[in-house]
Amino acid sequence: MSWPHLNRRLHLYLALSLLPWFLVYGASSLFFAHPSAGGIFYNDGVPEWSLHAEHPFEEPPPDGDGAALKQMGKRIMELCGLEGSYGVHRQSPTQVNVYVYTFLKATQVEYHLDRKLLLVKNRRFRWDQFLTGIHARGGFEQEGILNRLWAVVVDVVCLGFLVWITTGIIMWRQLKHTRMWGWVALAGGIGLFGVLLIGL
Amino acid sequence: MISRILRRTHMYLALFLTPWVLMYTLSTMSMNHRGLFRELYGAGPPAFEKESELSWNGSFSDGASRTVQARTILASAGLEGAFNLEKSAPGSLVIQRHDPVHPRRLTYTPADGRIVVEKQIFRTNALLERLHRRRGFQYPYVADDGWAATVDLFVVAMVFWALSGLWMWWEMKATRKWGAVAALSGLALFLFFLVSV
Repeated sequence: MSWPHLNRRLHLYLALSLLPWFLVYGASSLFFAHPSAGGIFYNDGVPEWSLHAEHPFEEPPPDGDGAALKQMGKRIMELCGLEGSYGVHRQSPTQVNVYVYTFLKATQVEYHLDRKLLLVKNRRFRWDQFLTGIHARGGFEQEGILNRLWAVVVDVVCLGFLVWITTGIIMWRQLKHTRMWGWVALAGGIGLFGVLLIGL
Repeated sequence: MISRILRRTHMYLALFLTPWVLMYTLSTMSMNHRGLFRELYGAGPPAFEKESELSWNGSFSDGASRTVQARTILASAGLEGAFNLEKSAPGSLVIQRHDPVHPRRLTYTPADGRIVVEKQIFRTNALLERLHRRRGFQYPYVADDGWAATVDLFVVAMVFWALSGLWMWWEMKATRKWGAVAALSGLALFLFFLVSV
């Protein structure tokens, strides 16, 4: 197999392997760029959050928003039978919220200190939130092996983009009759990027 | 003919958008490894340091809103562009100027007509993240609208590259089998994460 042949195959097979990520990052970017676009499809009066369960609970929350509060959030999740990535914050002096998130589902547990009660609320499924949720997920600071593996995959997708740029430019350079207009496109893009960077 | 148009569009669009692909890729990697930068620079955004101090003796028109006042101050400092207003102490106006390369904070004190300009310390990862998050047509500036338009173009291009790539793959019979293996493997891995993370 010649080098140009190998280069073309690498460009193609890498793209096919990473196609789901490519499409999800592309489609979800639409909802980041136009946040109101997603809401158009969900003006049906169905509430964003619906009550799923209630549990009695009494535990004085620790001071601050640190590790101890996170531990308390974990205990609340176990009590409610919830799993996934989560965050805990003090909503008010009488309320602590635990937000539990997976790619397919989001749940919020409200701990009302004054009522000694946990309210478990599920968020309705929305395609825009589903896509933007996947888009925004990343980082090696999350708990759990699968979350860290996802962060590895995000790195692989990034490396994939760098390989596409490199292999794509090599393919372009091999097509002599496209060189001039290719230069125009490349220089035009770099020029516009630079102008916008200065102008912003 | 269609195939040729698709190939050329796929390629020229990619060449034109190369700076954006690079920026989004490097910024994603930077955000994915935020912990490393936190170890390197400490937590929180980069600090601001004083750049200059100006005096402004102009006046605002009657009933000018704080936004209009901020625009006037930015123009007088030669720093027009996207901004927002910070909550500030009575008797002063604090403006965050969203320059992606050098974000600035301007504090105007009407009592003495002083404008203190502070510039945020430059960090490459912070620049990349600002560019990654910049979008939308909410600012009344041509450059911001231009940037928002390129973001939209990039979104369309991503979907177009995927679909035209599939078309080109299907046209090459010799690659169909291994292409299908690659596509199905990627899809299986993606679905695994989807249901388990």
